[in-house]
Amino acid sequence: MKKLAVFLLLPLLAGCSSITVLDPKSTTGEEQAYLIWFSLGLMMIVLVVVFVLFARFVIKYRYTEERKNDIPEDVKGNLKLELTWTILPIILLIVLAVPTIAITYNQSPKMAAEADDGIDIGVAAQQFTWTFSQPNGKTDQNKLVLPEGEDVTLHLSSKDVIHSFWVPALAGKIDAIPGRTVTYEIKHLQKGTYRGKCAEYCGTQHTNMVFEVQVVSKKAYQKYLKEMK
Amino acid sequence: MDISLFGKTINLPSDVLAAWIFTGIIGIVLVVYIWKKKKLPVIWEYMRTTNHRKIGTLYILFGFIFFLRAGLDALFIRSQLALPNNDFWVFQSQKYSEVFTTHGTMMIFFAATPMLLGLMNIAVPLQIGARDLAYPFLNAVGFWLFFAGGMLFNLAFFLNKAPAIGWTGYAPLTGPTHTPGVNTDYYVFGVQISGLGTILTALNMMVTIIRHRAPGMKLTRMPLFTWASLITSFLILVAFTVLAIALYLLMFDRLFGTNFFTTNGGNPVYWQHLFWIFGHPEVYILALPAFGIFSDVISTFSKKRLFGYPAMVISIVMIGFLSFMVWAHHMFTVGLGPMANTFFAITTMTIAVPTGVKIFNWLFTIRGGVIHFSTAMLFALGFIPSFVMGGVTGVMLSVSAADFQFHDSYFVVAHFHYVILASTILGIFSALYYWYPKITGYALDEKLGKWHFWLFLIGFHLTFFPLHIAGLQGMPRRVFTYDPGEGLTAINFIATIGAFTMGISILCLFWNLFKTHRKAEKVGNDPWDGRTLEWYVASPAPEHTFDPMPIVEDIDPLWVAKRQNRPMRTTDHHRIAPLSKSSILPFVMAMCLFLLAFTMIYHLYWVSAIAGIGVLACMVIRSLTDERKSFYRSINWL
Ligand code: HEM
Ligand SMILES: [Cu+2]
Ligand SMILES: [Cu+2]
Repeated sequence: MKKLAVFLLLPLLAGCSSITVLDPKSTTGEEQAYLIWFSLGLMMIVLVVVFVLFARFVIKYRYTEERKNDIPEDVKGNLKLELTWTILPIILLIVLAVPTIAITYNQSPKMAAEADDGIDIGVAAQQFTWTFSQPNGKTDQNKLVLPEGEDVTLHLSSKDVIHSFWVPALAGKIDAIPGRTVTYEIKHLQKGTYRGKCAEYCGTQHTNMVFEVQVVSKKAYQKYLKEMK
Repeated sequence: MDISLFGKTINLPSDVLAAWIFTGIIGIVLVVYIWKKKKLPVIWEYMRTTNHRKIGTLYILFGFIFFLRAGLDALFIRSQLALPNNDFWVFQSQKYSEVFTTHGTMMIFFAATPMLLGLMNIAVPLQIGARDLAYPFLNAVGFWLFFAGGMLFNLAFFLNKAPAIGWTGYAPLTGPTHTPGVNTDYYVFGVQISGLGTILTALNMMVTIIRHRAPGMKLTRMPLFTWASLITSFLILVAFTVLAIALYLLMFDRLFGTNFFTTNGGNPVYWQHLFWIFGHPEVYILALPAFGIFSDVISTFSKKRLFGYPAMVISIVMIGFLSFMVWAHHMFTVGLGPMANTFFAITTMTIAVPTGVKIFNWLFTIRGGVIHFSTAMLFALGFIPSFVMGGVTGVMLSVSAADFQFHDSYFVVAHFHYVILASTILGIFSALYYWYPKITGYALDEKLGKWHFWLFLIGFHLTFFPLHIAGLQGMPRRVFTYDPGEGLTAINFIATIGAFTMGISILCLFWNLFKTHRKAEKVGNDPWDGRTLEWYVASPAPEHTFDPMPIVEDIDPLWVAKRQNRPMRTTDHHRIAPLSKSSILPFVMAMCLFLLAFTMIYHLYWVSAIAGIGVLACMVIRSLTDERKSFYRSINWL
């Protein structure tokens, strides 16, 4: 069992930096990764406490031959203890809630196009392709080119069913819903080529609704904008 | 494969063909067995029964059959995903979508929920000293509706028309424009009919628990499983009603051109709201009864009273209440806005508090006890650390900004399997070993039980632990393959090994059932040195129980009586017990509804109308033949 655990944990321990979501390439993604680590850390406290108590109690109070005729003492409860494990988790959750609220407030996708700092990119989803339009009107299918170091505001819409725009290496996902436009901001992109996927089941070819994101230098981006299709 | 029939060529994929052949063989074997052993009267008896133990057994039997079917689907899913760019049998695009839709829908609606309802049916009346459920006839109706819905949903696959929409059936994909075939209709009608049965059973359970407790069994003395069943029934009543409405509206969209969930006047997001107002409470409908089972099992096998009984009850109530205030945590990425995302993040976190209270109270029930490692207890003990791991990822998911990454990825798949398998499935297994003597009179084999437990637990962690990482590595759910370059290969391969380990553990359970019935060794009333009333009646529980009626004077009345070396006190003064009388009407009613739904799917409305009249006729007949009338007359009540 122990060996098994090590075997399972190994990729986690050795490869944290290589797990896509935990090695984000934008400030937005970094904030999300921070929240993941922070909540995992807090929750590890809970996990360790429960595991230790569990192991201790199960070993200590197991049935043995000597205890064959033991009748355990009749304990009804213990108000102090029970209050402890009501109040401590509340405190723990408040600690977790503060950064959650702060970052959520900043990052949540919005219905109206309030945020208009950064580059505006139109994202139109349709079974089973993505069409990206640049500020100058240039469009491309299943390929999104973006400049390094900038913030982008995505304006998502769908022509048919619900899809979801996800570039795990950059940031979290946002749904593309027919009949409305949702905006989502991804801040401060780093250079690189990333896989993008549709994350909301949208039909039998959902798996193949993938795209590529190229974050390139500003110069290369300007050049891309001017290129005729 | 193309088959020519009556001059028409039918295209039948090999998986459907295999299913027909397999079912055909099993069918023939069954028919021969029934004929040879002259079991026809038994079947006829069970078709007409209104007894709570027998209906409970039917619920568990068919729930388990559907569980096997959905489990087989899970193995197909895992086989397809074992390697990158794999082509396992037919399970790519269309067929893969069908198989995960069937897996999810069957597990939730036709396996987990009915098996729990079956356990409630069997155990609740015995735990509170009732001779049957309050409305035995209604109970049979509830069961046969579940049966009809399950059969209808399964039929889709045999006709090669399985839905491919995910168990959540999101609009507008489920609308008439995007899935015009009958596939989606099978989902709508199958779930609708069985859901109706679930609502009826919940009502029955509520009335039974409130009205038919033994003398002295105050609410504050009820066993935890009964408490959990009561709260669960309230959740079912509200949640399944919302689901019924949602499905009803979707049916109108699909069949009669309304626009509730289209962009043409309606809104596809409305479906998500309705679905999750049902869907989130549903996970607690699955979890709470399991919590009840674990409370009873842990207390019994630690030889100790449950620690903090009032807190345990209050936390169930709190969880039930809060479960209606968190639905939008499934919709963080929809764009409801920062305000909604924050609100639902906070409410979701609060559910962790009562859940945590329960975990610690279970731990402190064990503390100071004498723990007997029976198989039932092992499943309960396996539940605690496994469930806490699922709970921990649940809190992580509630962090809405982080959920933008987790959502709809394998992290979520790992999370909900951790909570559902650890609570519901381990709970059902625990209950099976625990109450098997009450159901059949035999105790299951402990040694094979331990094999079953360990293989299942190891397989479960082996499957789902790595899948957390698959999600963080960028694997979305509901995809039928991935690229070799994505770093997902090892993770998926391990998960597949785990899934087959679970499969093998189920074979151990089969062997165990077979062996136990071969041996046919009767056990007494009270094989586990139990604490509650069900261990006071004979095993298996007879149709006429609690005669004379015991008086309940404590939380664990049987245990207290045994410690004081006295029999339980009894009385003749108690509420009149429900009358259970066999009737074929519930079965006929459900079959009429089946026909109604089936013909609706194919727009044969005039047949539907006739079937509808059939249902109505059954109701009229029932109203005119109330078996209680003559009874009440005989004791001069009317
Ligand atoms: C017994 C072993 C099981 C295995 C190996 C298994 C495996 C899986 C896998 C791999 C998926 C993801 C499919 C995909 O997204 O492409 C899945 C989905 C799902 N499973 Fe299981 N599962 C098991 C048991 C259960 C149980 C017991 C339940 C509930 C009672 C359950 C409920 C679900 C649901 C609701 C889905 C989502 C289906 C959807 O996306 O529409 N599973 N399962
Ligand atoms: Cu998609
Ligand atoms: Cu939920």
